[in-house]
Amino acid sequence: MIARLPSRNWNFDTAAHLLVRAGFGGTPAEIDSLARQGMEAAVNSLLYGAPESVQPPSWAVPGSLRALQLEVRQTADPEEKRELKKQVQRRANEELSDLLHWWILRMTQTRAPLVENMTLFWHGHFATSADKVRQPHKTWLQNETFRAHALGNFGVLVKAISRDPAMMVWLDLVQSNKNKPNENFARELMELFTLGEGHYTENDVKESARAFTGYRIDPLTESFRFGAKQHDPALKTFLQKTGPWDGDQIIDIILAQPACTRFLVTKLWKYFAYDNPPPELVESLASQFRAAHYELRPLLETIFTSEEFYGNRAMNTQIKSPVQLVIQGSRSVGLPVLEGEYLRAGLRQLGQVPLYPPYVKGWEGGKSWINTATLTARYEFARQLVVGVNHRRLGLPRPPKPIPPLAEPPPKNERWPLGLAQNPSSGVMFTQPPPPRITAPLEISRLVTEKDRHQPEKAVRELFVRVFQTSPKPALMNEFQQLASTKGIPLDDPAIREIVALMMSTPHYQLC
Amino acid sequence: MPDEPDLITRRRFLRTSVLGAALTWTIPVFLDRTFFALRAEAASSGLQTPTGRDHPILVVVQLAGGNDGLNTIVPFGRDAYYRARPTIGIPKQQVLSVDGLVGFNPALALLKSLYDSGHLAVIQGVGYPNPNRSHFVSTEIWQRASDAKGMVSQGWLGRYFDNCCQGADPTVGLTIGGQLPQAFNAENPTGVTLNRPNHLGFDREPDAFDQEAFEATNGLEHANMTGDSIGNLSGTSSSVLSPLEYLQRTALDVQVSSDQISAVLKRSKPEASYPPTRLGRSLSLIGRLIAGGLPTRVYYASQGGYDTHQGQIGTHHRLLDELAKAVAAFCSDLKAKGIFDRVLVMTFSEFGRRVAENASKGTDHGTAAPLFVCHTAGLVWEAARTGPPRRWRSRLQY
Repeated sequence: MIARLPSRNWNFDTAAHLLVRAGFGGTPAEIDSLARQGMEAAVNSLLYGAPESVQPPSWAVPGSLRALQLEVRQTADPEEKRELKKQVQRRANEELSDLLHWWILRMTQTRAPLVENMTLFWHGHFATSADKVRQPHKTWLQNETFRAHALGNFGVLVKAISRDPAMMVWLDLVQSNKNKPNENFARELMELFTLGEGHYTENDVKESARAFTGYRIDPLTESFRFGAKQHDPALKTFLQKTGPWDGDQIIDIILAQPACTRFLVTKLWKYFAYDNPPPELVESLASQFRAAHYELRPLLETIFTSEEFYGNRAMNTQIKSPVQLVIQGSRSVGLPVLEGEYLRAGLRQLGQVPLYPPYVKGWEGGKSWINTATLTARYEFARQLVVGVNHRRLGLPRPPKPIPPLAEPPPKNERWPLGLAQNPSSGVMFTQPPPPRITAPLEISRLVTEKDRHQPEKAVRELFVRVFQTSPKPALMNEFQQLASTKGIPLDDPAIREIVALMMSTPHYQLC
Repeated sequence: MPDEPDLITRRRFLRTSVLGAALTWTIPVFLDRTFFALRAEAASSGLQTPTGRDHPILVVVQLAGGNDGLNTIVPFGRDAYYRARPTIGIPKQQVLSVDGLVGFNPALALLKSLYDSGHLAVIQGVGYPNPNRSHFVSTEIWQRASDAKGMVSQGWLGRYFDNCCQGADPTVGLTIGGQLPQAFNAENPTGVTLNRPNHLGFDREPDAFDQEAFEATNGLEHANMTGDSIGNLSGTSSSVLSPLEYLQRTALDVQVSSDQISAVLKRSKPEASYPPTRLGRSLSLIGRLIAGGLPTRVYYASQGGYDTHQGQIGTHHRLLDELAKAVAAFCSDLKAKGIFDRVLVMTFSEFGRRVAENASKGTDHGTAAPLFVCHTAGLVWEAARTGPPRRWRSRLQY
């Protein structure tokens, strides 16, 4: 049995912990509201908060690059062909930068942060890199699939992913046929997605690979198509069961293994709470997950209401991923988000570019986020975002050359319910001038009231709570109070910027 | 060459002088614990880590994009080569012959002389089983030295750091460029990157109070803080640092290594003239760091642009020329500094390219390629005769 957190222990810090880990943190007012609601209501608001409908990027339609790609194929002149190929590559690159920005903004502004956080979790779990897929529409489609099933049913999600075009390219399913079954997907399905090493044999890999033959992508609709002629319908013996299994039946057999629930709850616990959970905890969560037939909401509810989730081992012990760092900084303090190519370059320096996981296992997490280069980058980015970004200073690339407008401009996008209207993407991105060299700095008036500028102690205390997403910790707090006492009264903008930048340039700020 | 006890002493010196620099009886708990955990880590690894000051040093040069092996070390004695590459084959008379069958691309004249004087070895046909032709996947396989499944999560250099360098100075591995290569991925991440030598470490705050706050909250300065005395902390010998301690140690590493590097750069200069290319600058910097006595064992530099799908001849010639000039300058620099015997340079590329040229006078992704190894001692030319040419029948052998 998993002990629930007694309601008397629910307070500002537990509410902040929940919001930071399940979502991406928030303003002190948002945390306060969760604290007042009580744990059940707070957890429910995260579990059942409905995601907004967000217009997809305008280029995200099947075959958006296809016309151009066909043109490449039909062009005979090598010079012209090269030029066209470059254009395809540039378009794909632009679209992926746009998609990255689209997603990051979505994480920053959504009212259903747990959905976006779980989308990110699934992206790391079924790690697929746009670098190999090289077709932005497929990458976007996969992102939407993760979102659609983010809090749904794991079994349904695995089946959807086995038919996901980006995944089919990524793990070579599209090349697999009955004469030459490709084992890549079958192997990762068990090793990385469901069971973990040691719960299947090489023979199980070979047999299941035959079941996944015939998975194809329709080139026009860019959606899954079953190629019966390529499929191997013969008997397979998989995990001791013999039958003419197809892909879905293989997944059903996998889901019936106790190892599958254990594998998944361990990974989710690591993502939300801490690494290496005790075996009894894993066992309890796993049996509950099994009883709920792989429904994710009941499992997450148990995690987020458990006493262990709010224990010392969990609170303030997780090293923020670069994405958490960026999104939390924006949601809690209002740090600006870099745009376009800068965003990608910036995230690369911090060590995590969504859509480009480093390899099939996704991101390692934990200590691997931090080395001398990334820690220096974190400090420098924090400072620059607080005082106003000098792109050159951050070593970000030069502004890209403007791309000539398309013959027919893509339709302009009108409904961005999340205030995404500032998004330079979608529709206008191909003709958009390069972003400015200096991104506007953090707006201070939103953080400290005029009145509080005359009461530095109160102002610093409130900044502390906002930046660190926790009630004040005396020793650390003291440092900043001392610092504030060296600044004049009232606190002016530069002084407040300096204090916020220094708060973010600490080891403590890297934790959540 | 100093013996082990000297190293232990140096280690102790480093740990107590650098990490515990102004160690007084009152230091903050977190720094103290970090310090103790580090000490325990260093003490528990039975063998003390040798440093690059008196032990061999490896310099890895990555040729990113997939270097065309057949136009690098040219099998000009084979007709099949010219049949497969009617427009981009290197003409027989231009090849710098080694044995009448294969020879260096003319752009590699400087490497050929290194070869002639016994400083350079060529290992032909280096690849891995079940080759993957994606840049991304193939680079990852090389970086992790895993099989084609790519299931090892640590890099090959990272595994060396984990197994042989625990408790070592953070500069045990150093990369020129903004990011650590995947090869450095380790259980206990270590290694530093050097992007802009003029811009090392954390910025100094212009205001003294700000700087003080920065140092205090990062555990970089402790004169004005109160904490427990060392004597009370004997129990904290855990070799596993908590996330906070790990962050604090990394902040220290930044500070320590940037101080160290700037001191080292002050006392050494290049003693050869390097080409003004990115690789030239990287290798020049590495030469200065080695000569200046940085304890680094593995340096990592890279040169990009080898993905020559079209119009290969000019581009590839330029790249090889840059490579040869930079490596040759590096060798003479090291010789002049009297430290060539401690350094070994190796190049690698994620894959070679196909035998047959494509329609755009370029080559597409292939598999294995030659790898250069450069050192004082003469090295063997092994696989050149027996290697690839025999397997030419299959289209994708390279």
